[in-house]
Amino acid sequence: METAETKSFYSDKLKRAMHLLLFRRGKMPGAREWELKEKVGKNYQQVLDQLNQLLSELDLEIKKVNEPRSEEMGSDAGHASLEEARYLVALKGTLGLKEAKMIGWRIDNLAGLSASISYLVSKQGKAPREEIEKLLAHKFGRWKAVTLADIFLRTGYLEEDDAGVMSLGWRTRSEIDLRALMTKMAEAKV
Amino acid sequence: MKLTEKPKSQRTTLAAGRKELQEIVETCEAISERKFNPFFMDVKFGVETLRQYFPHWETFKDHCLDAHTINRLSEVVRLQNTQLKFQSSALYADPDFVKRKVERMSEKRLAEVFLQSWHPITELEQLTNSTVSDALDYWNLLTPIADRWKKRESSRGKDPGTADSETLTGLGIHGKEFGKQLTELWNELRQLYGDRKVPIDYWSFVKGATYNETVQRAYYVSFLVTYGYAKLQPEGEQLTLTPTDQPSEKAVSGAVSFPIPIPRES
Repeated sequence: METAETKSFYSDKLKRAMHLLLFRRGKMPGAREWELKEKVGKNYQQVLDQLNQLLSELDLEIKKVNEPRSEEMGSDAGHASLEEARYLVALKGTLGLKEAKMIGWRIDNLAGLSASISYLVSKQGKAPREEIEKLLAHKFGRWKAVTLADIFLRTGYLEEDDAGVMSLGWRTRSEIDLRALMTKMAEAKV
Repeated sequence: MKLTEKPKSQRTTLAAGRKELQEIVETCEAISERKFNPFFMDVKFGVETLRQYFPHWETFKDHCLDAHTINRLSEVVRLQNTQLKFQSSALYADPDFVKRKVERMSEKRLAEVFLQSWHPITELEQLTNSTVSDALDYWNLLTPIADRWKKRESSRGKDPGTADSETLTGLGIHGKEFGKQLTELWNELRQLYGDRKVPIDYWSFVKGATYNETVQRAYYVSFLVTYGYAKLQPEGEQLTLTPTDQPSEKAVSGAVSFPIPIPRES
C-alpha cells in the first residue's frame, strides 16, 4: 500500500524530471540542478533515483556532470559548486562500430577523437592545438587534421582558448569514461 | 634549455636582471600553455634570482616585473603540484607513449577503443504547443513572396548613374579643386594646432555653418586621416585630430575603417 502511494506521488514528478532531462531548452542538453529543484521539488534526488531505475532497463542512465576544474583531472572532481552541476541522460552501455556508423559517425572521426582525447588526457587535459593537429596529421593528413580539430571543437568534445591551447570539452566530460579510455588505450594491441 | 646559473659579473647589471626576470616569466608562461613540463623550471633558482635583484630595483616598473615573476613562479609551483597528483592517479599515461601508440594503431582499432568508453548523451528536439502556435501566427501574417518583392521594387531609389570628371570637379570631390580644398583644410588644422600642440576636437573642427558643409568637411578630413596628413585618436568619448609633420601621402597600410555618423543636429 505504501509502495503504491509512493509510486503515485512520484509519477507526476517523474514525468516532469524526464521532460527536463530529455528535451533541450538551451544550448546544452540536460537540466541544471537548480532547475530540477525548482520544477521537481526538494526531493528531486529521490525522483532521479527512481527515474534512473526505470531508465536502466532501457540501457540508459542519469549522469551528474560537474563543471570541471581542468587542472585537477587526477584528483576527484566532486568538489565543484552544486549550482554548476548538470544532469543528463546518457547511454549506460556502449555502442558497436556499426551502431556508431548508423548514428552518423565516421570511423575516421571516431579514431581522431579517440587519439585527441587520449593525448590530451596524457597531457593533463591541455595541449597546444598544433600538437593535436600534428598527431592527427600523422594519420589523416594535414587538411583532414585541421577539419577534424574544428569538428571536435564545434561538437563540444574539445575546447580552445585564445592562446590556442586545447582542452577537454563539456561533451567529453559528460560522455566519456576517461579512465576506461586510458586503460583500453594502454591495453590495446597494435 | 634548463635555466642554469650565470656568471656573477653578468648578473650585476640592472639590465641583465630585467632580462633574466623576463626570461623566467616567458618560460613560466610557456609552461602554463603546456609547451613544457612544469618541472622544466627550477623554481628555487628562480626565487634566488628574484632575491638577488630585489635590492637593485629602482623604478615602479621593476617592482611590477618582480611581482609578476613571483606570480608566474607560483603558477608553475601549482602546476608541478597538479602534475604530481596526476601522475599518482589512474589517468596517468606518458604523452610520448600515447603518441606512439596512436601512430601505430589502425583507425578501426582506435575507434573501437573509443567506443568502449563512450556513453553518448540522449536528447530530443521538440515542438511545443506554444512554438507551433507562434509559427502559425507568423505564417498567417506572412505576405506572399510576390507581394514582398513588389514592395521592395517600389521602395527602390534612383538607379545608380554615371558622372563625368567635370561634374565631380564641380562638386569639389575631384581634380584640382579637391586637392586645393584638402590643402586648405590641412593648413587650417595645422594653424589651429599651432604652438599649443594640443589635439583639436574632431567635432569642433568639422562643424560648418550648414549640415552640408559639416558633411563636406568630414569627408575631406577622412582623406587627411587616410593619407597620413592627420591622426584621428579617440580619447574617452572624444575624438581628436592631430596634424602630422611629415605626411606619407600614401594610404596607411593595415588601417581600419572607422565610420563616424554625422547627426543632423551637429
